[in-house]
Amino acid sequence: MRLRSFQRGLRIGAIAFAILTYLILIGLPTRLGVVAMPVLALLTALIFWVALRGGKSKQALAYRAPAPLLLTGATAGLVAGLLTAALIAGFARLLAAGVNVQPYLDKIVPMNIAALYGVMPGAVVTGDLPAWSWLWQAILLTLAGIVGVLLVLSERALRQRTWSTGGTLRWLTILLPFILLTFVIWLGNPDVTLGGNNRGTLRLLAAMAAIGSALFALRAARPGREQRVLALLLLLGLAYLPFTLDQFQNSVMGIVFIFVMMGLGLNIVVGFAGLLDLGYVAFFAIGAYVYAFLSAPFASPAFSALLTSLGIPADGPLISFWAAIPITMLTAGLGGVLLGIPVLRLRGDYLAIVTLGFGEIIRLFMLNMSDLTNGPRGLLNVAPPYLFGYSLGNPRDIFILALLGAGVIAFAAYRLDGSRLGRAWIAMREDEDVAQATGVNLVQTKLLAFAIGALFAGLAGQLYAARQTNIFPDNFTLFVSVDTLSLVIVGGMGSIPGVVLGALALKGLPEVLRGIDEYRIVTFAALLVVMMIVRPEGILPSTRRRRELHDIGGPASESAALEPALPSDYRTLDGGKP
Amino acid sequence: MTSTIRSSTSYRVRRQAATTRWVVRGLGLIGLALLVWRVVTVGLAESYPLSFWISQALNGLVLGGVYALVALGYTLVYGILLMINFAHGEVMMIGAFTGVFALQFFTALGWMSGPTTMVVLALLLIAAAGMLGSIVTGVTLERVAYRPLRGAPRLVPLISAIGASLFLQYSVLLVFGVSPRTYTRPPLLEGGFRVGDVFVPYTGVIIFVLSLLLMLALYLIVQRTKLGKAMRAVAEDKGTAALMGIDVDRVIVFTFILSAALAGAAGVMLGFHNTVVKFNSGFVPGLKAFTAAVLGGIGNIPGAMVGALLLGLIEAIGPSALGIPTEYKDIIAFSVLVIVLIFRPSGLLGEVVSEKKA
Repeated sequence: MRLRSFQRGLRIGAIAFAILTYLILIGLPTRLGVVAMPVLALLTALIFWVALRGGKSKQALAYRAPAPLLLTGATAGLVAGLLTAALIAGFARLLAAGVNVQPYLDKIVPMNIAALYGVMPGAVVTGDLPAWSWLWQAILLTLAGIVGVLLVLSERALRQRTWSTGGTLRWLTILLPFILLTFVIWLGNPDVTLGGNNRGTLRLLAAMAAIGSALFALRAARPGREQRVLALLLLLGLAYLPFTLDQFQNSVMGIVFIFVMMGLGLNIVVGFAGLLDLGYVAFFAIGAYVYAFLSAPFASPAFSALLTSLGIPADGPLISFWAAIPITMLTAGLGGVLLGIPVLRLRGDYLAIVTLGFGEIIRLFMLNMSDLTNGPRGLLNVAPPYLFGYSLGNPRDIFILALLGAGVIAFAAYRLDGSRLGRAWIAMREDEDVAQATGVNLVQTKLLAFAIGALFAGLAGQLYAARQTNIFPDNFTLFVSVDTLSLVIVGGMGSIPGVVLGALALKGLPEVLRGIDEYRIVTFAALLVVMMIVRPEGILPSTRRRRELHDIGGPASESAALEPALPSDYRTLDGGKP
Repeated sequence: MTSTIRSSTSYRVRRQAATTRWVVRGLGLIGLALLVWRVVTVGLAESYPLSFWISQALNGLVLGGVYALVALGYTLVYGILLMINFAHGEVMMIGAFTGVFALQFFTALGWMSGPTTMVVLALLLIAAAGMLGSIVTGVTLERVAYRPLRGAPRLVPLISAIGASLFLQYSVLLVFGVSPRTYTRPPLLEGGFRVGDVFVPYTGVIIFVLSLLLMLALYLIVQRTKLGKAMRAVAEDKGTAALMGIDVDRVIVFTFILSAALAGAAGVMLGFHNTVVKFNSGFVPGLKAFTAAVLGGIGNIPGAMVGALLLGLIEAIGPSALGIPTEYKDIIAFSVLVIVLIFRPSGLLGEVVSEKKA
């Protein structure tokens, strides 16, 4: 038993060492400065906590006895500490010897290593380092191991107590968005000095938290009058947001809600109808480009030549933003049908790759058809929307428009969800053959899913073009599709509030964290993986999906595709692995 | 009574499905006819010399060989886990990076400018290093990002794979920096020989022959060894295979090792072919290889080879045959994919897998 705890400690220590090495290699210490080592130790303690508790079920946690746990934790800490200290010392030696490591490992520079020692970069170059610092580093990480154990034990103690989480928590959830909103408005007061230079960021964060918590509040409220009143109040609060936020905050919120529009559309295709579409950006691009053609025909050489030959002046917008809405939406919808027809008979992964190819084809056309789309130079001077002669191009108005658009689409999606068509989609998602046998017209249902999803993406694209005023093929890469799909899945597939939350988390937070821009994508990607492992149904799942993914008692079927997932079960069978 | 109602419904539904099928096929035929017309009127009218076509075709075969190695990785993993390993292109890219570091190491040792045997040995070691780098990445990937998700609905591992792909790409960007690494070819690999009017570069020949050899090796492993047999059994039915005493986890890890090794070799070869590697240089070849795997019928090993060679050929010949700029070669590749899937929804050679629940 003791030997096993020891071995487990060795393994956890090695994993922690690998993670620490990675963090050092990507240059995190440079960013952290003098506190690099303590912060890394804290991170390691969290890693140990997660690794030591093993599994996410309560039972797994309860079985861990304190003494072996302490042995494991201390071993892990010591192993990670010694290895890391050796690694750092090795790098320090190399740098002191004057070796230029940077061509091989970009981030291994004196500043990075010096931060780990808590000294000036010059000391590393001259090799003038404290003699016993390796011991200090090792001890710090061993302590992290022990802290990890304490965290596990305290978590267990907390879990064993039963909490009376009755009305108070529910009322807190309901009141939280209002508290946050008040906080946002209070922060907007010029006399307030809270947050110093980061006040704007804090405010944006609070605003996003307010919207996010509003979704939870709606879920916590009792259906009926309570929910309706709450929804009305929250809508009022939301409507006030654009007027209190500043330019930058509004522009971030604008892009977030444009992605909410996209996500709601994709949610219909993927979440409701179960058609995995990796080329969704195509419709977004179609919407943006069609609006650009209509509002700035002079930007496209071929199109303006055609118009002039027809005797139509091409030096201004052809039609207004509002009149263009049906045209862009219908064009995008047509694109959806055109994509839908050839893929009618394809299933699952074949569908994914063909839609992905379709998205790429559209982008490549935009990149290479220079006559029409001006190629990589893009279409410039797209007109913002006008209302009674006033330009609505500033971030605040774009945010309002995006809110309105998202609201309309959310309403449409909500009504579709419960409609005959929506139920047909769900039937088709669950089993195409059975759906067909019960009288669902597969062709019509599938094409409608693609077309309606595309309509919404077209609208989002138009608004995006009006927001950017200059659009380039590079705005419409595969990553837009991937981002949209991820936000739908992170939020909770098939769930409308989930899409909003997903967009806030995946499009909003990275904008807020511009300061650590470099690590944005890596963090996002790692989160995506972790999210899939820990909570595959999304943050705010639809009820149906949550049941699907957590139905442990359900009958196990033979094929992997049909199996109701057994994540927690599987893990315990797999042994208490880290 | 009930039976008549049911049969009439199913008759209507069946007729509907048949109509759609013919509409789709008709559209496909029209597309095909347009394609042929275009080739006849433009491609043949341009009157390139025959040697041009041959050398283009050779280029295509070389590219196809590399695609085939990567496509096999997709197909192997798909065959067993029914999952698109979206990060496979990145596994290849990391192999290429390991290869470039090995190359720098041997250049520093002076092996690359030494006698021929030395250079050949160094090249083999570089390829081995690339394969090793890929294998480590592939196995870690399986352990961290895919194994905890086994048995989850299909979309879940796919998203995890997309996350892993992004993570690997941008980690490489952070760790190694933005500047691309160059594969400096040793003098031995420079140049080529002439057959008539056609110039054949040495790298091309080596890449093509090597990829054929690796495919043969894979075929032998899958068909003749005990582990290969276990792989086929697991691909057929995981549960039953486990009942027969096969360690499913081990077989899956072995599959990842095989596919990563092929990807690593492909990465090194592509490195010597293109002479540069960057953090995102695995993405497009990965996408192409995946297209190739689907074209041939995903989950089907001969299918991946055929699909990849075909895709390479089409990409190389297509633009000049259609008389359009080479920038459109990706469009041609994807269009071919769509047209093939219209007629054969499960790829050229794929039959069995797509009949399972997709």
